[in-house]
Amino acid sequence: MKNLKKYLFLSVISMAFVSCSNDDDIPVANNVTLAFNNTFGDKAIVLGNASSTTASVNTSEAGQVHRFSELKYVISNIRLIKADGTEIPYNVNDLDKGATVVDQSKPASLNYVMSNIPSDEYKQIKFGLGVRNDLNTLNEASFPDFYAMAGANDTEMMWEWGTGYRFTKIEGFYDTDNKEMSIHTGSTVEGEEGSYIQGVDAYRDIVLNLSTNAVVGSASPKITIKADFDKLLSGNSNTITLSTGTGMGDNATPNIHTAVQMVKFVDNLGGNGSSDTTGMFSISSVEN
Amino acid sequence: MKVFLKFLPLLFLLASCSNDDHEDILYDNPELSLNIPSGFPEHNNSFYTNRPTKYGVQLGLKLFNEKRFSLDNTISCASCHIQANAFTDNKPQAIGIEGRIGIRNTPPIQNLAFMMFYNWDGSKLQLERQSIVPIITHEEMDSSILEVIGKINEDPSYKDLFRKSFGDEDITPDRIYKSIAQYEYTLISSNSKYDKVKRNEGGTFTESESQGYQIFQQKCASCHSTELFTDQSFRNIGFPLNLDSNEGGRARITGIEADYMSFRVPSLRNIEYTAPYGSFGQFATLKDVLDYFDDGVLGADNLDPIFKDNGNRIPLTEEEKELLISFMKTLSDNEFTER
Repeated sequence: MKNLKKYLFLSVISMAFVSCSNDDDIPVANNVTLAFNNTFGDKAIVLGNASSTTASVNTSEAGQVHRFSELKYVISNIRLIKADGTEIPYNVNDLDKGATVVDQSKPASLNYVMSNIPSDEYKQIKFGLGVRNDLNTLNEASFPDFYAMAGANDTEMMWEWGTGYRFTKIEGFYDTDNKEMSIHTGSTVEGEEGSYIQGVDAYRDIVLNLSTNAVVGSASPKITIKADFDKLLSGNSNTITLSTGTGMGDNATPNIHTAVQMVKFVDNLGGNGSSDTTGMFSISSVEN
Repeated sequence: MKVFLKFLPLLFLLASCSNDDHEDILYDNPELSLNIPSGFPEHNNSFYTNRPTKYGVQLGLKLFNEKRFSLDNTISCASCHIQANAFTDNKPQAIGIEGRIGIRNTPPIQNLAFMMFYNWDGSKLQLERQSIVPIITHEEMDSSILEVIGKINEDPSYKDLFRKSFGDEDITPDRIYKSIAQYEYTLISSNSKYDKVKRNEGGTFTESESQGYQIFQQKCASCHSTELFTDQSFRNIGFPLNLDSNEGGRARITGIEADYMSFRVPSLRNIEYTAPYGSFGQFATLKDVLDYFDDGVLGADNLDPIFKDNGNRIPLTEEEKELLISFMKTLSDNEFTER
């Protein structure tokens, strides 16, 4: 009890010191903005429906033209790595404060501002494409803001039947006759971490080295992250040919919603979780 | 200032002490003693950490019948899970709010305390994690758990039952899931004619029931095994396919191609009351199902070996079908269904 009091006393004192240092020129912390640039190759994606004349059209390695009418994905579990290797987690256990839905149709969602990042130099960023399994339970009571954002009618980033979030949702059209494509990913694992009883873990940890160190201090850096959706069909892991039908191997729609074909897309977008930890992501620039 | 800082932590300590001053009256809320019917398998592990209590089950029953679970307050769990039909609705596919049609046939709710998997694809392994699914699914109740809590929060009868069940009035998601599961754990069907014959409680099979039982043991019991009349495995038995874009059978969950369009072997208990049959109600009657087995099922790479190795069919004469149906009707439990 006496010790506890001592610690509390010390922590109060140290807080007082911390607040004093605010008077210096360099703030103790500042913002870092993550700017997501969703592309086919080097060109930013323009969404559009089958009849759109402005929509970006991409051609896969297998020769299939395709375009997107909808493009969303979840980013969470963000960690910044200091030049000395120290890892600074950003609200990694709080989806309300540390996760977001990047939605190509909503320009504001492409810039994610992280606040109160300690002043220092950072050499690397890690984040999750999707939601870590221990948080992926549609827990509205714990994370009402993220639940509302993901569940909104114009977002639909939930798998109700799997009681988890959709990690990516891509709607679009493929081939010259504009067949519908609908590619959704998410986790279906049940059981404890490390000993899943069943299901597919679609969460992918992304690791990106920054092209130049991000210097947080008097300035608030902006890190531009390219997400090259050319990789969806022509990825590091798989070259995918879309096909429509009801067979086990048909993958464009309808049954891409099943986990059978999903993993190939997941590995292309987010890496295979072992040898490839970048997937479709790369750093375009760091502006200090 | 310094003095204040020094004492600030003390204030915290004082504040935490006062947390002990709860005035809640402790109710006697005994655990219910549920017997395991002879020959039934062990309980699901979750049962042991959420044993049914007197008030927990009362609360679960009330919540099960609560229409405010749905967005427009029109349907409850009990709207589709109707007791007289062994908690099914006699519809091919479940119907949610505004007449929205769900992807699958409403599963019966019986003997769930002894099941290892829930839902036709086994997506849930614990009953406590199942009830959120219909609450939030667009084609079912299309609500959210906080929306539900918001609606029932000020209802004195709920406050009373939550206090009696859990010690205080707090209505939390976990308590809702737990009490519904507790109620469902008590739904045990084990008093059919079959059970009474087995237990020598008087009554005997008729000649046709007895012959039907023999055919059942030869041609059905490898999948519809144990006293639950399901081995709880997942199989593709070549039923007509549900072309709904969200349907993949168990493969939707596992990502294993061999699970494509596989579903949990259904229990045959109270099967007389749970028509239509199949994952989306493909068959109106038991006779239709047996005719289909006899005529031959759809082929598939992962068709169950029992069919694949036998020309994709279970050959049955017309007489055998009649006898099987008369046996299956001995699995009807009128105490359970309150018929």
